[in-house]
Amino acid sequence: MPPKRSFGGKKTRAGAAGAAGKDGQRRPMFRRRKVCKFCSDKIDDINYKDTKLLMPFVPERAKILPRRISGTCALHQRKLRTALMRARQLALIPYTTE
Amino acid sequence: MTRKYELVYVVSPEATEEQVTDLHTQVEAIVQRIGGQIEKTENWGRRRLAYEIGRHKEGTYVLEVINGGGELMKEIERRLKVSDLVIRYLVVRVDEDQAIMERSREARTATARRRRTARGLPPDRQPGEGQRNDADDDRDDRFDMGGMDRMDRMDRMDRDR
Repeated sequence: MPPKRSFGGKKTRAGAAGAAGKDGQRRPMFRRRKVCKFCSDKIDDINYKDTKLLMPFVPERAKILPRRISGTCALHQRKLRTALMRARQLALIPYTTE
Repeated sequence: MTRKYELVYVVSPEATEEQVTDLHTQVEAIVQRIGGQIEKTENWGRRRLAYEIGRHKEGTYVLEVINGGGELMKEIERRLKVSDLVIRYLVVRVDEDQAIMERSREARTATARRRRTARGLPPDRQPGEGQRNDADDDRDDRFDMGGMDRMDRMDRMDRDR
């Protein structure tokens, strides 16, 4: 049984479900709690010109990394999205690959 | 009502330096004519485009920060749209966002100072104070992909035993 996914971005410290191992034993899963990069680094301005800042949020297929994975908070994910979309328009960041 | 706008335009790689500066003077002329001012101009030079725009793979990026009204930007946009040399442009209004940013930053420093004085510390951070940088920075596993990571860790745990 896969561990329950939390969509809140807050990752469970010890994934409650704890995947059953090969031997059928339940063991606690330790997941590090994800935090919003922009909150912790106190970045107010998510700028579309700053590709270095944006690139980690653009995975290989050039989609926008969901906050379920990145742990970005709702406010900053929204700002990030607008920044990414502006950067895309200026061809600083791709829309797709291939 | 004066607002602050950022204008970025991408000039075709075939354009000469002169044509790029010419474009800048054209923008400047419009700004002057309608009544505004250019706060800053930045030429980022030639950059690779992330995707092809009409056969072009490169472009010269120019950023202009303009103080002025909406009418002014409308006129500039119209001119850029007509120009063959400009392959892409973007106008963004920035004054409101900057004001919000300023306010949140001030609020943050204010609370930090208040808390510090409450703890009997000087209001500003002293040099050499605060958390040391942890060598084991967990920055890189911020983006761990759920499934893969889980498998990986399970492997490791098996090995440990």
